[in-house]
Amino acid sequence: MAAHVIVGASMAGVTAAITLREESTDTITVIGAEPEPPYERPPLSKAYLRGEVTFDSALVRPFAFYAEHAIETMLGTRAVRIDTTEQFVELADSRRVPFDRLLIATGGRNRHLSMPGAELEGIYGLRTVGDADRIREATTAGGRAVVVGMGFIGSEVAASLRKKGLDVVAIDPGKTPLFRVLGEAVGRTIADLHRAHGVRTIFEDTVASFEGEGHVARVVTRNGLRLDCDVVVAGIGVEPAVEFLDGSGVGIDNGVVLDQYLETNVSGVFAAGDVANHYHPLFHRHIRLEHWHNAVRQGAAAARNMLGQQTAYDEIPWFWSDQYDANLQYAGFHTSWDELVVRGRLDSGSYLACYVKDGRIDAAVALNRARDLRRVIALIRSRATVDIARLSDDHVDLRTLDAGTHRGALAQEGS
Amino acid sequence: MTVEFITTALTPEGVPPGAIAVVDVRGTRIAVANVAGTYYAFDDTCTHAQCSLADGDLTGTTVTCMCHGAEFDVRTGEVLAPPAPSPVRAYRVRVEAGALQIEV
Repeated sequence: MAAHVIVGASMAGVTAAITLREESTDTITVIGAEPEPPYERPPLSKAYLRGEVTFDSALVRPFAFYAEHAIETMLGTRAVRIDTTEQFVELADSRRVPFDRLLIATGGRNRHLSMPGAELEGIYGLRTVGDADRIREATTAGGRAVVVGMGFIGSEVAASLRKKGLDVVAIDPGKTPLFRVLGEAVGRTIADLHRAHGVRTIFEDTVASFEGEGHVARVVTRNGLRLDCDVVVAGIGVEPAVEFLDGSGVGIDNGVVLDQYLETNVSGVFAAGDVANHYHPLFHRHIRLEHWHNAVRQGAAAARNMLGQQTAYDEIPWFWSDQYDANLQYAGFHTSWDELVVRGRLDSGSYLACYVKDGRIDAAVALNRARDLRRVIALIRSRATVDIARLSDDHVDLRTLDAGTHRGALAQEGS
Repeated sequence: MTVEFITTALTPEGVPPGAIAVVDVRGTRIAVANVAGTYYAFDDTCTHAQCSLADGDLTGTTVTCMCHGAEFDVRTGEVLAPPAPSPVRAYRVRVEAGALQIEV
């Protein structure tokens, strides 16, 4: 009976543990640095931050599940080192946990602000439920918030704080929210969404310093704006949590470097989730993703490969972001594009925008148009060149564009 | 309240194969899916974020919620893929006198 050890009680780690239990009678141990029972992070910037749902509703499983299914959990326990020759994980209190197969699912940690005044009270990051609790507490009475960084977390936090009734100013160095990922045309629609809900947006500017006596009272920008505030939330990115792998021999480059089977250069050592930089066989490159769906699917896939299946992980990346009443979804992977092909209109509040390069759809983003987004995934997966005229024609069923799985123009609409 | 078949406003023709319709039955939104001529009824409201499953995609006997990708078996209401935390309720459905009836 093999001993599977999972470092990181994250979505990826816990999904792997559950999959291992479903498919084997091996021993399973999950080591997690956070003290809480394993939980899902998507609500932390949305319903949980707004106080609309309880922590229990965010649990991956009720806490009793793990003991009932012979999954040992070591929570509030930090792994500090792994020895891949002797095959053990060393904990902060020097205990050693031996393994036959190891999964690294430690996720990431937030980048921190480093400008003058960043140590003032009232300035928060958001990664853990503890962070979310502190922001909830600091915003119960309303007030003025500055959101630093308009990536996905910053955009969701800005929306949640507006919904809670705070005055919100959002600042980002890009030309729009999500500029680096989605580009200017799509990003502008997200900026419009936030402005329509009363957020003051400031782009192409950054924080120069924070001012206040003990507690933050003002944000000063490089362009000289002075923004009075009661609370600051920063969402300026994540770095993979890999320090404990120093000296282990496990290859590190933008996270844990994996092959298409989610295995590291060390046999028997795997990784999944935000920490994993895996070789994607469809995009022919390494990809590291920081999203729930990837954590779930990769965690399950890694578990099966830990059991000896050797199945390549080739899921099309997919994620959502709920802001106000808008549902944004993205599928695929792109870094640059020749053409942005739009179904619907970008200014209409409902569109699908496809990032096309060399005639193929690498990725697509949809605002309030999830059905098209779901259907374009097959086109992304096919890697086939597409008919741009038909792709951009809102009257053409996307399922009829895919030569690989042609189902005919008569396929039924869902409703 | 006793369990009984309630005549709905839906007709069999109104829910062609591959389609999902939604109907209000005694204050509950119930989705009716037609899988190759067989009708299945289940709660329309996804247990994850309360989106309408009738707005979802039907593939075989699986309905996919458009909001966040949760999947349910339309025959049983069972969760096939997260993030839905719990099943949706499934109902018996029959065709009677040209109307779809749902047992509630």
